[in-house]
Amino acid sequence: MSAATAPSSIRIKAIYEHLDCLLTGIDRLKKAGITGWTVMAPLPRHEIEEIIYEGQPSPVRWWTLTGAVTGLTTGLLLTSLTASQWPMILPGGKPVVALVPYAVVMFECTILGGALFTTLGAIVHCGLPGFFLDRAIQDPRVTDSSFGIVFTGAPVADQQRITEILTGAGAVEVTTGADTIYEVPNHA
Amino acid sequence: MATDVYTSGEPNRPDSYGAANRDIIRVLLKPSVAYLALLATSISVMLFGGWCWYMQIRWGMGVANITHPTMWGVYIVTFVFWVGIGHAGTLISAILFLVRSRWRTGVYRASEAMTVFAVMTALLFPVLHLGRVWQNYWFFPYPNQRQLWMNFKSPLMWDVFAISTYFTVSAIFFYVGLVPDIAIFRDHSKGLVRRIYGLLSLGWRGTHRQWHHYMAAYGFFAALAAPLVLSVHSVVSWDFAMANTAGWHSTIFPPYFVAGAILSGCAMVISLLMPMTYAFNWHKYVNTWHFENLAKMCVLTSAILSYAYGMEYFVGWYSQNPYEQAIFFWRADPSADYGWAFYLMVFCNCLAPLPWYITKVRRNPWALFIIAAIINVGMWMERFNIIVSSLAHNFDPATWWFYWPSWVEWGILAGSAGWFCTWFLLFCKTLPAVAITEIKEMIPPPVKGSLEAK
Repeated sequence: MSAATAPSSIRIKAIYEHLDCLLTGIDRLKKAGITGWTVMAPLPRHEIEEIIYEGQPSPVRWWTLTGAVTGLTTGLLLTSLTASQWPMILPGGKPVVALVPYAVVMFECTILGGALFTTLGAIVHCGLPGFFLDRAIQDPRVTDSSFGIVFTGAPVADQQRITEILTGAGAVEVTTGADTIYEVPNHA
Repeated sequence: MATDVYTSGEPNRPDSYGAANRDIIRVLLKPSVAYLALLATSISVMLFGGWCWYMQIRWGMGVANITHPTMWGVYIVTFVFWVGIGHAGTLISAILFLVRSRWRTGVYRASEAMTVFAVMTALLFPVLHLGRVWQNYWFFPYPNQRQLWMNFKSPLMWDVFAISTYFTVSAIFFYVGLVPDIAIFRDHSKGLVRRIYGLLSLGWRGTHRQWHHYMAAYGFFAALAAPLVLSVHSVVSWDFAMANTAGWHSTIFPPYFVAGAILSGCAMVISLLMPMTYAFNWHKYVNTWHFENLAKMCVLTSAILSYAYGMEYFVGWYSQNPYEQAIFFWRADPSADYGWAFYLMVFCNCLAPLPWYITKVRRNPWALFIIAAIINVGMWMERFNIIVSSLAHNFDPATWWFYWPSWVEWGILAGSAGWFCTWFLLFCKTLPAVAITEIKEMIPPPVKGSLEAK
C-alpha cells in the first residue's frame, strides 16, 4: 500500500478477564491523555462509571424533568380547558375548573410524561438502536463474562503506545485492524 | 471499590458471569412435554373464554346475569382482581429496587411479567363489560360531535388514566430491564432466533456510555413507577368509594385496596414461581429465601387487610348510619345471600396466612403454594363481596336481587385465567424469567489483585 493511501487511524481492541485489570487500563489511558476509547462490560459496575465519568451525572435526568413538567401541564390544560369550553353553572356553587379531582389526571399525566421522555432520553444518550456500532464493539464475549476496551479510530502513530498500555494493564488479548472483529462461534 | 452483596446468609450464587448466562439460557426454546401440555390447556381455556365472549356478542348482554340493580358483576369483580394481581410486580421491581432490597433480584423479572400480563388481562374486562364492543373507542378521551368532552371529575375517567398509565410505565420498565439480557440471548443463539433477539435487544453492546445512561434511566423509571403502585389501586378504589352506595362510600378504601392488591400480587408470584423453580431447577436463583420474604409481605398485608375489614364494621357502627349498618350486618349474616362469600373471604385472607407466622411453614414449599392459592381465591371473593353485595342490597328494598353469574360469565372468567397463563408460559420459554444482569451484580467480580486505579 502506498503512503498516500495508508489509513491514518486503526482499530485496537483489548479483552480483559478481570475487573481490576480493566480499571487499571482505563486509568493509564486517562493519565496518558489518550481519548477515543469505548469500554465494554457485561454488567454495570460503578467502579467503571466512577473512573470514567468521575461523578458526572447522566443528562437523562433533564429528559425526565421535561417529560414530567410537560405531562403535568398537559393534564392541567386538558382538564381545565375542556371544562371551560362548556362553563355550565353547577349546583351548590361548585367550580367549573375543579383542581382537586383534576389532580388525579394531572398526576397520571406527570408520571406518563416523565416515563415517556425518560425512555426517549435513554434511547438518545445510549445511542440506541446500536445496530450500526463499529463491528469491533460487537463482541459476544462482552455480554458473557469479559470486559473490553476498544478504539475504533486510534491514530496509527499511537498504536504501539496504546497497545503497550493495554497489554501492561493485564489484557488477555490485544488485537488490531481486522483482527478486532470477533467471529461468533456456533454456541447453539 | 464497591462492597459486594454476596454474603454467607444468602443462597448460593453461580461461580461466574458466564455460568449465570448458561443457567438461565438452558431452559429457553426447549419445551418439555409437560410444558406443552400446560400451554395447550391454557390456550384451550382461553379459547373457551373467547367462545363465551362470542356468545355474548352474538346474543347480547342477556346471556350474562348482570341486571338491575346488580349492573356490575363478575366482569368488574375480575377486572379489579387482575389489576390487584398486577400490583406486586411493580412493587417488587420499583420500590424494592429503590430501597436496595437484595431478595428482589431473583423474582422481580417474573413479577414484572406477571404485572404486564395481569394488566393486559384486566384491560379486557371493561371491553367485555361494554357489551357493544365495536364502540370501545368511546373509552378514549376525545370530544363528541358537539365538542362536549367527558367529565374529568368522574372516578371512571380517572381509572382510564390510572390503568393506562400504569400499563404503559410497567411495560416500559419491564422492557428496559430486559434489553441487556436479550442481548445475552442474541449472542448465544444463531440464525433467525439471533436476528429476532438482535432486534429486540436494540443492538445493545454494553458500552460504558450505554450503561451510564441506562442505569440513570432505570433509577428514574423506578422512582416514577413507585408512586404508581400506591396510586393505581387507590384510583380503582375510588370507582367505588366516590359513589354514594352503602358499603362503598368510605375513606378507608384506598389503603384497604392497596394492601389487598399487594397481598394478592405477592401470593400470585409465589403461585407462579414455585412450580417454575422446580421445573427449571432454578434453586440457585429463586429459593426459600425469596419465597420466605414474599410470605412475610403477605403476612404484613394480610394483617393490614384484616384491620381494614374490622374497621369497616367499626365505621358502620360508629357512623350510626342505618344504611351503612344494614349492609355490613347483612353481609356478615350467614343465612343471607352472600354470607358464605363474606366468611370465605375472611378465612382466605385473614386466617389462612396466619400459619406463615411460623418459620417452618414459611419455608415449606407445599404450605407456601397451597396458602398462596387460597389467598388468590380469597382476594377474588373480596371483590365479589364488596361489589355484588352492595349492589344487590341497595337503598330500595323493592329492587333487591340475588345475582349469580351465568355460565358465560364463569367461562369468560376462566378464559381470562387461560389468557394470562398463556402469556406467562410463552414468556418463560422465550425471554429471561430471571434477571441475568442483576444476578451478575450479586456475584463478586473477577479480580486478579489489588486495584491500581483509585
